[in-house]
Amino acid sequence: MAMLKIDNLHVRVAGKEILKGLSLEVNPGEVHAIMGPNGAGKSTLGYVLAGREGYEVTQGRIEYDGRNLLELEPEARAAAGMFLAFQYPVEIPGVNNTYFLKAALNAQRKARGEVELDSMQFLKLVREKLAVLQLKEDLLNRAVNAGFSGGEKKRNEIFQMALLEPRLAILDETDSGLDIDALKMVADGVNAMRSANRAFVVITHYQRLLDYIVPDFVHVLADGRIVESGDASLALKLEEHGYAWIAQRQAPVEQRAGAA
Amino acid sequence: MDGLLGEFGSGDALARAESWRYSRHALRALEQLPFRNAAGNAQLPLALIERFDWPQTRGHRLVFVNGALAAAHSDAGTSGAIVETAADGAHTIRFRGKGTLHLVFANVASDAPSRWNTTLHIRVESGKVCVAEQHVGTEGADVLGALASEITLGDGAALQTATLGDLPGSASLARRTRISLGNGAVFDSTHALCGGRFQRFDIDADLAGAKAHLASRGVFALRGREHVDVHLDVRHAARDTTSDVLWRGVADARARGILHGAITVAPGADGADARLETKNLLLSPHAEIDAQPVLEIHADEVKASHGATVGALDERALFYLRSRGVPLAAARSLLIAGFCRAAFARIEATDLRGPFEALLDAHLPQNAEVA
Repeated sequence: MAMLKIDNLHVRVAGKEILKGLSLEVNPGEVHAIMGPNGAGKSTLGYVLAGREGYEVTQGRIEYDGRNLLELEPEARAAAGMFLAFQYPVEIPGVNNTYFLKAALNAQRKARGEVELDSMQFLKLVREKLAVLQLKEDLLNRAVNAGFSGGEKKRNEIFQMALLEPRLAILDETDSGLDIDALKMVADGVNAMRSANRAFVVITHYQRLLDYIVPDFVHVLADGRIVESGDASLALKLEEHGYAWIAQRQAPVEQRAGAA
Repeated sequence: MDGLLGEFGSGDALARAESWRYSRHALRALEQLPFRNAAGNAQLPLALIERFDWPQTRGHRLVFVNGALAAAHSDAGTSGAIVETAADGAHTIRFRGKGTLHLVFANVASDAPSRWNTTLHIRVESGKVCVAEQHVGTEGADVLGALASEITLGDGAALQTATLGDLPGSASLARRTRISLGNGAVFDSTHALCGGRFQRFDIDADLAGAKAHLASRGVFALRGREHVDVHLDVRHAARDTTSDVLWRGVADARARGILHGAITVAPGADGADARLETKNLLLSPHAEIDAQPVLEIHADEVKASHGATVGALDERALFYLRSRGVPLAAARSLLIAGFCRAAFARIEATDLRGPFEALLDAHLPQNAEVA
């Protein structure tokens, strides 16, 4: 059974249809890359999966572990193993990073019927994960993302992912704004977590990240649906020919749709 | 003599004044109560004593019961303060050099609505002084307190104050502070105002000496029908004076908050640098916060900035927390607490943050409906 099954998804945001019949299946252990031009609906997909308000599903369905994902609140999706690394992590002044992460992890554990971690156990876990991402411990004593550089914010997202150990991680343009060292660090963090029972959906605009996180599948998202799927070599073709190449190939599809 | 309370109760003349614009109804409602003078010899319940009996301020404490200085509960022997009481009942507290003082104002219920009126003169002639001021009361205490203080800071003197207005829903407080700062004097104040039927804070500061500095930070966190009205009036009257005002307000249910911040730069006060920021959070469609920044500048070389916002919880931040697994109610509490704590971030004496954060945690609206 697929872990995630998106079928003919139509989503409207502020009255405008952004996703127009997107279908995608993700199995445990797989890494899917979703590429596409700006405005194709890549971030909308991430937000719909994570449960943000204001994203109206007008048609289609999403199943996660055989359940109707759209019925779950965002926190219930997180407890069920879903994680979204934000393209623009939110700054929350006044809320301590450690306090927030402990509250998040323990809320998830509680929701799953697992024992909550005490402060010592939590700190031990945090230190392990920090070391992997080469993040400084003082980051923990600061407010969530407040005053972080662009790179620190993205690494903090991956650090949170490492700590929360989701089963399905969606990375929304985690590579944007990163220099090559930070990019490698983020990729190392992701690769260290790849396993047979965990899946990744990596949303990116550029092929560069996929040099370091090699995907099993590459999908091209254009104008609200997936117009091309292939293996990792598809990303290289895109890099070579640009998204205009896809637009040309897409034209006959639209004609067919129009004729039907 | 009635002092501040007389003025407070002088009826329509006061209620018509512009500065009482947002508190007129609250004031008139209070005036309907048949107040009698509160008993200064009332017994303090143990539970109330426990709220102010901080181990670190023993020997530094003056306790006022219904406005009257209670010798039995006070011991300021090691505080550095010299305390004198004048014939008219006003207390003068003087510091020469270092000092730490914990002032407690306990409101104790009697069988009828009661009121008290106290005047303090605080003089810091030199050195660095820290004063914590705590207002507490027993549940159901239908007490209206009026506290006026005149604070004088000599040249180079520094006073740090921490005010905790932690009143039961039945008690009210009218608090007037007038501060005069000498050359290079520093007045650094933090407030946390919670509870109370009605709390009015008038803070008038006169930066009379060159290079004097004032910092005023504060939070009010209101529930139910609580009403807090803060009027700050900062006057830059000398060269190179600086002020930094940072307040946060949160109101839930039918609570009402007012933050009026006026900064005046007098002619000749060149080099003045004034900052005023107030941010406010409404958690219910029936709550109201009025934020009123006023800048009046009569000098040329001046830096001044002000900003005032009133808004709802940040939907993006709420979603971010929930997407990590934090349930909605807990996410809201985290954000509200974080919003308030930003006002305490600049408290230098970090051990002072504890009482503030504990007070806020106990009072922050927890499960409010989204506006």
